[in-house]
Formats: sequence, structure tokens, C-alpha cells
Amino acid sequence: MRGWTALFIKDGKLILRNRLLLVVLVIYPFLIMGIMGAAFYDAGRPVPLGLVDLDRAEEGGIAWLGATTDEVPALERRFRYRAVRVEEFGSCEEAEEALSTGRASMVLAIMTDGESPRWLGADLTADQVELTLEDVREASSMRDYSSFQEALEPRGGERNDLVLALREKEYPHIGESIWLDKESYDASGLIMRFSSGVAEVTEYESEEEAREALARGGIDAVIVLPRAFVYRLKALNETAIVPVIIDQSNLVKAEFAETSIRGFLSRVKDGVAEEKMRAVVAGLYVLVTGGDFFGTEVVGLGQIRENLETIKGALADRPELAELVEGGIDLATTVIEDIEEAADYLKGTALPVELDISSTAGRTLSAKDAAVPALIALSILWTGVLCGAILMVVEDEEGMRERIALTETGPLALVGSKLLLATVVVFAQSAVMLVLAVAAFGVFASNALLALLVIAAASFSCIGIGLVIAAFARQVAAAVIMSVLVSFPLIFMTGAVYPLSQMPSFMQWLAHAVPLTYAIDALSGVMLRGEGLADVAGRVGILLAFGVGLLAAGSMLARRRDAG
Amino acid sequence: MISLLGVDKEYDGLRALSGVSLSIEEGEIFGLIGPNGAGKTTLIRILSGRMDPTRGEILFQGEKVEARHPGYRSRIGLVPQDPACYGRLTARENLGLMARLYGMGREEAVPRVEELLSWSGLMEHADRQARHFSRGMLQRLSLAMGMVHSPPVIFMDEPTSGLDPEARSSLWELISRLSGEGKTVLVTTHNMEEADHICSRIAILVKGRVREVGSPREIKGLLGADRLELRLENGAEGALSSVCGRLGLAWRREGDLYVVTGENIPGKLPEVASGLAGSLRDLHYREVTLEDAFLRFMREVGE
Ligand SMILES: Nc1ncnc2c1ncn2[C@@H]1O[C@H](COP(=O)(O)OP(=O)(O)O)[C@@H](O)[C@H]1O
Ligand SMILES: [Mg+2]
Repeated sequence: MRGWTALFIKDGKLILRNRLLLVVLVIYPFLIMGIMGAAFYDAGRPVPLGLVDLDRAEEGGIAWLGATTDEVPALERRFRYRAVRVEEFGSCEEAEEALSTGRASMVLAIMTDGESPRWLGADLTADQVELTLEDVREASSMRDYSSFQEALEPRGGERNDLVLALREKEYPHIGESIWLDKESYDASGLIMRFSSGVAEVTEYESEEEAREALARGGIDAVIVLPRAFVYRLKALNETAIVPVIIDQSNLVKAEFAETSIRGFLSRVKDGVAEEKMRAVVAGLYVLVTGGDFFGTEVVGLGQIRENLETIKGALADRPELAELVEGGIDLATTVIEDIEEAADYLKGTALPVELDISSTAGRTLSAKDAAVPALIALSILWTGVLCGAILMVVEDEEGMRERIALTETGPLALVGSKLLLATVVVFAQSAVMLVLAVAAFGVFASNALLALLVIAAASFSCIGIGLVIAAFARQVAAAVIMSVLVSFPLIFMTGAVYPLSQMPSFMQWLAHAVPLTYAIDALSGVMLRGEGLADVAGRVGILLAFGVGLLAAGSMLARRRDAG
Repeated sequence: MISLLGVDKEYDGLRALSGVSLSIEEGEIFGLIGPNGAGKTTLIRILSGRMDPTRGEILFQGEKVEARHPGYRSRIGLVPQDPACYGRLTARENLGLMARLYGMGREEAVPRVEELLSWSGLMEHADRQARHFSRGMLQRLSLAMGMVHSPPVIFMDEPTSGLDPEARSSLWELISRLSGEGKTVLVTTHNMEEADHICSRIAILVKGRVREVGSPREIKGLLGADRLELRLENGAEGALSSVCGRLGLAWRREGDLYVVTGENIPGKLPEVASGLAGSLRDLHYREVTLEDAFLRFMREVGE
């Protein structure tokens, strides 16, 4: 034990007096956390989004709709049946001309593989247009385009079987708005309301313009609101397809944009659903009280029952008739009670379903919170491997290995004392990092004390790697290069850069042969997932076992070298 | 004290030592002389128990030595070929560390370190980091580090290589003092002057074989002798021959030079001179050094 302490003290002095090591070990936590702080300084800033609202597109244009369906013949039949006179056109230009001159209010292009489209135009009334559109929507999914060319070759690669064209201003329900909380919102208004705080939305005149902004990098994604978006949200049997264009060149950015868009679109959906439910409930009450039932003035059931009571009173001398009326009164009473019960029941479910999104740690996590455990674990790997390897090789470089081999000090003391010292140093370093992250940058750690335990175990195992590396290097420079060569692939293998679940099974298997994998998992477990000692004990044990195994390997290699 | 019996060492096929048999007596300074690659370091490594010989054995005070035998290692001290110490530790810390590694307690280690600091003349530099030391100081520190545990035997591998004359002589003085304290010292060198100066006995190692063993004087006598170089007038060979015959000396001709060799030439010089009388043009007496002897020996063995 005397040897252990002597070596321990000696290595401590070596670290303190070696400026390079000292810089790496002392400055590093501040450097890393400083960079992290700077990187996430602006974290939580709204995602910049572009918005194109086709309802608001310039007047006088043509609305193009494409549909993928196998019911083209049926749809064509119904269109011909509905129209008084169907005209055939030879080309897109002819059809467009017929639309703009008012000769046709709607044009159908039927696309057949390998052939040029057939163009049918007809002058339809507004109701007929709406019915036709409904037919198509029922038979297929429909998307909005800004030109025929676009509908002909959609970006997703899907082929349209049918393209519809009509004048923008005749598009039914265009520009319709919805009342939410006593305020009226049109399509872009809805998006603005629900995206506030999450996204910073810029409106563009056309999809082209928005795509240009996306390419320039001014925005991270573009949302294209289809025509009559609000109507489609409100209509019971409608699904509104909302094309979202995301810049996928940067996966992380794309992921952020997608998550936030999904988030607020689902809030839009919830808001509308709630409003629809309110309307249904109000309608049910109207059935009892009388009034405006979705546009029709109705006499309430309550009034009908009163009327029946009056009739029954007037029929006092005609008991057989009064009895018949009595049956009507009973029915009205039952129906009124049922409706009221149903409405009350629906009112209950119409309460806003608020998603309370939170992490298992009990607090919503930011990107910064999520980054820190991996950051600390990577720094442990890097400095641990380096520190272990350098401490061993310095001894070799100074010629002291031969000397020490002649004393009573065995290889275990030689290697083990370094492992312990380096563990203390790297632990202290990482603890400083953790404290900085929590105190200076407000990073979340649900169980900081347990995190320290994981950090200690992780340091122990990573330094072991350095001790083994050192057996193959004779100079500090070689040890440093080898540490880089070894650490780098390890970092990739642990899922810190690329999710493990996305890797083939042999890579996942390999990842479990790397202590860092357990370190990152355990550290994010105790910091972010609220795991307790019992949860991480297994992984901490594995880390310690790795350390002990590597220590044994390191001592064995050191013994072999000293014998040579 | 230490005997080597037919020691062979092979490094994957390369034979570094063959059939080395030597006996090193207690209290002597034994010099192992040989050119680079002769196997000196290999022999030291075997002696210091760092590795086993391929064949043969080593006896320490009559006991057979096994490599990594802990009891043996604590009885020997090693001064490696290159000064070994921690550059970022001070002289005192380096010595203190060795003391602790040899199992001394603090109360034992501290006075020992102070003793060694003054013994090696490093006291005034005791608290300087060793990386700032000159090579001479490093060698003295390295020697002191090898002696921390007061071993009766010390092996030194080329301790003076790369030192300036002053540093070298101060190290010689330390080594001589060691033997005065009753230590047995085995020192390797390729510096003949040094061996001549401090060693009580010498072995010449060439290509892993011991060629000669003996005191420097014996080696010199064996390998060469003092020589008298003469330049004579023509026709004086007869006179030279008769003088040499009378005094028991040998002579030979090397070019236009006559070389006379034999015992006690300085004492016989007046007789030689008077015997040659007028035909002596020039006379030069050269005392043989170990270096001369060694170089001549190396020429003879074809190195
Ligand atoms: N570890 C080793 N492996 C292989 N060959 C070695 C090793 N050490 C020394 N040698 C060889 O053994 C011979 C003797 O080397 P060494 O004992 O270092 O000689 P010296 O110290 O007299 O210069 C040399 O030829 C050297 O190349
Ligand atoms: Mg050597």
C-alpha cells in the first residue's frame, strides 16, 4: 500500500506540473460548457417557418387540384350527368382559356398512363361545383397545386389520375373562417394563433417564393395551407392534407421543425374539434329550447310539449283523444330528458383535452438538457483515455518503468494507482462540468448526486481503456494519437452521434461492448429520465466491471512489457 | 559474490551472449568493457533479474538467482543506461519516491534521502525539477536513486557516456567512494581510460563472449606492452640485436621504425641508449594505455 500511495502522490505532482495535462484537465470543463452555453444560448427560439395560404393567393388565378383515385370513370360519369353541356378541349391552354373567359366554370383533366390527358369542361352552378368537389374528395385524397404542370408531376412522386381546375374565386368555401373563443380566424390566422411561441411564421405569396426562402436558409420549413382549409377542418367528413416542405439537409433542424409543426397542427385540430363539439352540444340544446339549428329555425321540443299540454287541456271532454295526446307528451318528456342528458354528456367530453407534455423527469426538457449527459460522457471518454494513457507512457518515456520493476511494486500497483488517481481527476473534472451546466446554464439534472456516481464509474472504465492503449505506445505523442484513433470510433459506436436503434443488430451488439454506451445511457437516465439508484445500479456495475477488467488487462500487459 | 556460469542469451534467434562465465568478488569495482552491441546491457538486465538467461545460471552469494525473485531485486541497485528519473519531480522527490517504493516508512526514508542528496552533491539542487538538471547531475541523481535501499551490489550501465570530463571525474569519484564503503560495483563502459582508472578488475566482452578477464594491469600486459620506438642509423641493427638480447627485450621492425618491447623498459633505458651509442637518431618511449591494448586486441580478433 505504501507503494500505491507513493505512486499516487507522484502522479498527482506530475499532472500538476505538466502544463499540457493541466490545461486539458482543468480548462476543459469550462471550455466544453462554454461552447455548450454559447450553442444553446438562443435555445428554445421559435422555429422559423414559411406559410403559404392558398386561400389568400392572388385573385383571378386558377385553382388546380389533383386526385389519386381508381374511380375515374364513375367520377367522369357523374360530372357529365351533372353538367348540362360538357365541352372537350384539345389542350391545357384551351381549357385555361375556357375557364378565364367564363365559358367553363370547371375543367376535369383525366390522366391516363402514357397518353396525353383528356380535357372536359362544363359551366356548372356553384352548388354543382361543390357537389363535384365533394364527389372527388369522397373518392380520393385530393391535393392543391398552383399549376397544371405541378399537378402533372407532383413532387412526392405520386401520380394523379384526375386533375380539376376552377377559377379561384368560384372555389367553394374559400377564405372561410372559424370562431374560436369568440374570435374569427381564417386559415393563416389559425396557424398564427396556434404557432405563437413555437414558431416564427412568415407568410409568402406563393409556394415558389416560400421554397426560395427555404433554399436560402431563411426558414426551416414551409407549410402550404390548401384551399378551403378551414371549411375542411370544420366539415365532418373531411381530412385536410397540409403539405409541409422541410429542409432535410440538416437532420437535426428538420427534426426540430417537424416536431414543432406536428405539435401546433395537432393543437389546431384539437381547437377545431373542441369548437365542433360545442356546436353539436349547442345544437342539441336548441332542439329542446328552439332557435337556430345549424341555419334552420326550429320550434323546440319544450314548446311542442307545452302545446300538447294545452291541447290536452282543451280535450278534457274527449278522454280517448286526451289519452293519445298524453302519449305524445310522455314521448316529448322522455326525448327532452334524453337530449339534455346526451348534451350534458357531450359537454363533458367537449372540455379541452389539454396535452400536458412533460418528461419522465417531471419537467419539459430542452435541447440543452438533452445534450449535456452525452457531452459529459464524451468528455469523460476523451480525457479519461488520454489521462490514463499519458500517465502510463510518461513513466516509460522517462525510463522509470525499469526502475520501478526492480522495486517491490508490482504491476497492479503501478497501473492501479494511476487508474485511481485519474479517476479522481476525471471525476472532479466532470463534476465541475455538471455543476457548471446546472448552475450556470440552468441545465436540468433530476438526480445530480446519482449522476456523480455514474460519472465516477464512467471515468473508472474509460481510463481503463487508456491504460490498455498505453501498453502499445512508447512515447506520449504515440499515446495521444492512439487515444484519438480509439476514442473516435467508440464515440460513434455508442449512439451519441447516431441513434443505436437505427443501427444493424451487430452494431448494437458491438455498442454494448463499449463502456461509454452504458455511461451515456445511465447518465441521461439519472439526469433526464428520473431513474433512481436501483434503475442504474446494473449499468454502474457494468461500468465498474469494465474498469476492473481493463485494469487487469493493463496490469498484465505492463507485466509482459517489463519482462521483455 | 556473484558468479555467472555459462550464461547464454538469445533474442529471437539473435545471440547476444554466449557462454559468459564470470565471478565478481565482494567489494570490487568490476568493469565490463566492450564495443556497442557487445551485450553489456543484456548482461546487466540478466544480472538485475529483469530477465532470465536462455541458458546458464547466476549465483548470488552462492544462491541461484531467478528473474523477478523479489528478495534478490532488493539486494541489488541499478543505474540504467540512460539516466532515469521523473523530470517533473525534484531530486528530493525522486529519491523519496524510490525510498517509498522500496518499502521504507517516512521516518526511515527522509534521513536516507538527505544522506543521498549530500552524498551525491545534489543538496543545493534538491528542490529543483530534474528536467532542468545537466546530464552530469542527472547521472549522479540516477546513481543515488539506485542506491536508495542501500544494496550491497550496484550495476551501472555506461554511467559516464555523454558526460563532459569534469562531470565524468566527479562520477568516478562517487563510484570509487562506493567501493570504499564496501559495495560491489559492476560497471559497463566502452571508455578504456575510465576502466583503467577505477576498476579493480575488467572483463572484455566482444560479440557476447568474454575474451579476457583480469586487473587493468594484467590486461595491459596481456594485450600489449610498453614500447620503445627507435630510429637508427643504417647498419645499427646488429647493435640493437645484441643490446636487446642482453637485456631480455624483443625487437621488430615496423617500416623505418624499430620497436622494442618487454618488461621494465624505463629501467633499462640508459643501457639501451649507451649500447646503441652513436647510431641512435631518435628515441620515443610510449607507455601502453588500456585503450591501445584494447584496440590492438580488437584488431587481432578481427573487429
Ligand atoms: N530486446 C532486444 N531484442 C532483440 N535484440 C536485442 C534486444 N536488446 C538487445 N538486442 C541485441 O543484442 C545485442 C546486444 O545488445 P546490448 O546488450 O544492448 O549491447 P551493449 O549494451 O553492449 O551495447 C545487440 O546486437 C542488440 O541489437
Ligand atoms: Mg548498452
